[in-house]
Amino acid sequence: MKPGTKLKSAVCDTEVMVIKAADVAVDCGGAPMAAERPAERGVIDPAFAAGTKMGKRYVDEAGTLELLCVKAGQGSLSVGGVALKLKDAKPLPASD
Amino acid sequence: MNDPQIPLAVCADRLLARLAGATGSQAIAALDGQTLLGERALLAGSRIPARISAGGGCRLFDALDDTLALNLARPDDRESLPALFESDTLDVGDDEAIAAAIAARHAGTLVARSRLLGLAIAAEHEAFPAGIAPCIELARGAAAQPPPRAPRVVDLSALWAGPLASHLLWLAGAEVIKVESRRRPDAMREGDGEFYALLNQGKQSVALDFKDTTDLHALRSLIASADIVIEASRPRALAQLGIDASAFVRDTPGLVWITITGHGANGAAADWVGFGDDCGVAAGLSAALHAASGRTGFVGDAIADPLTGVFAAVEAWQAWSSGCGARLGIAMSHVVAHALTQARAEDADGFARQLRDWSAAAGQPFPEVRKRSIGPLPAFGEHTRSFLARVARC
Repeated sequence: MKPGTKLKSAVCDTEVMVIKAADVAVDCGGAPMAAERPAERGVIDPAFAAGTKMGKRYVDEAGTLELLCVKAGQGSLSVGGVALKLKDAKPLPASD
Repeated sequence: MNDPQIPLAVCADRLLARLAGATGSQAIAALDGQTLLGERALLAGSRIPARISAGGGCRLFDALDDTLALNLARPDDRESLPALFESDTLDVGDDEAIAAAIAARHAGTLVARSRLLGLAIAAEHEAFPAGIAPCIELARGAAAQPPPRAPRVVDLSALWAGPLASHLLWLAGAEVIKVESRRRPDAMREGDGEFYALLNQGKQSVALDFKDTTDLHALRSLIASADIVIEASRPRALAQLGIDASAFVRDTPGLVWITITGHGANGAAADWVGFGDDCGVAAGLSAALHAASGRTGFVGDAIADPLTGVFAAVEAWQAWSSGCGARLGIAMSHVVAHALTQARAEDADGFARQLRDWSAAAGQPFPEVRKRSIGPLPAFGEHTRSFLARVARC
């Protein structure tokens, strides 16, 4: 995984861009994400069905992984069965 | 050499004259465009910019096929650069490394990726739709006779353009309530204290916790009590607060809602981030400077901000006083593009001469402008309790 890589969900419309890369496998809707969508769409695990929001950033607990949602979907993001959480909004510039 | 004028200051002059005529305000009539465009630089002691903006946050970089303005003013912006360049070896704190990464890539790709990443970026020769309107109607409400008093303005915006618009309305006699998030106050309080005080003097300060349902209810009540709302957030920020600006306008006769954006309120552009310097570049101002002087650079200090501020004040007052309830979308880059078109139509040679003088003066102190007086500034959230109490009684 490299910063800038795009990952697609195997079970919903979600697409993310990797902002901070970590050596982990990212799941969406309970299924592994990959550079390409599989020909046949899988089923969303109800435990990971909270959805993703366009433009939002998602991070792991340690803050080593950061993903930007570039296309929203019904599945939610997780690593090793632990849900990723929303990152707070960017602070504004002190002046522009 | 002549002392350079800030290009497009004459456009701000004309807008001020319209506002003075419409409001009858002596305070507005006493203002001039050059002051509005140059007063932040005066207070900050900035110099006439070349490839680094007067405020320092935005920089021009050469890509393979065009020059880009990339604004990295926010503390987190640089964290997005590895994803922008698809590189995990880039030193994001090193502007020379950033310049080298941009030099090896095409402008169009970088602009598209940056906008996806929420970075403020623009290309010098960006394809800009001709004849674009700086102000569009996003929703129309019922007309209502304006009350026989000055308007009440609820300002949800931050930084420069929106707060300048409400400041001008305050000078013209309006009651202005500045609403800020407790978690995310207007960052210019800390960054640019004296200038912040200039723009926000005399306004009432309400600070709310946007994650608290009582405070959100208070926010809705405040908006419902307003004659004019000024807001400059991206669509999803309002949606998260459960606020539908167009619905508010349709439900509240006479309400004027000003939505300020970087590049437009509709379609994909609604999500693009834009600040004053990069929006000026997007509008073609640096391309005009380049064509006139042979050298690219920034024109003015975050020029899209003050031009948009005075433009928004005129539109807001005009709509309110005519009783036309509406939600108006005002895009900073479109305001500058419009001003640029006007300046060329009026006196193309004179404008080109101004741009040449500006370019030749790069590195000199900013043109001298009038220093305006600054009145008392309320403490952060000073009026929150009295407004919450008023809301609770309703």
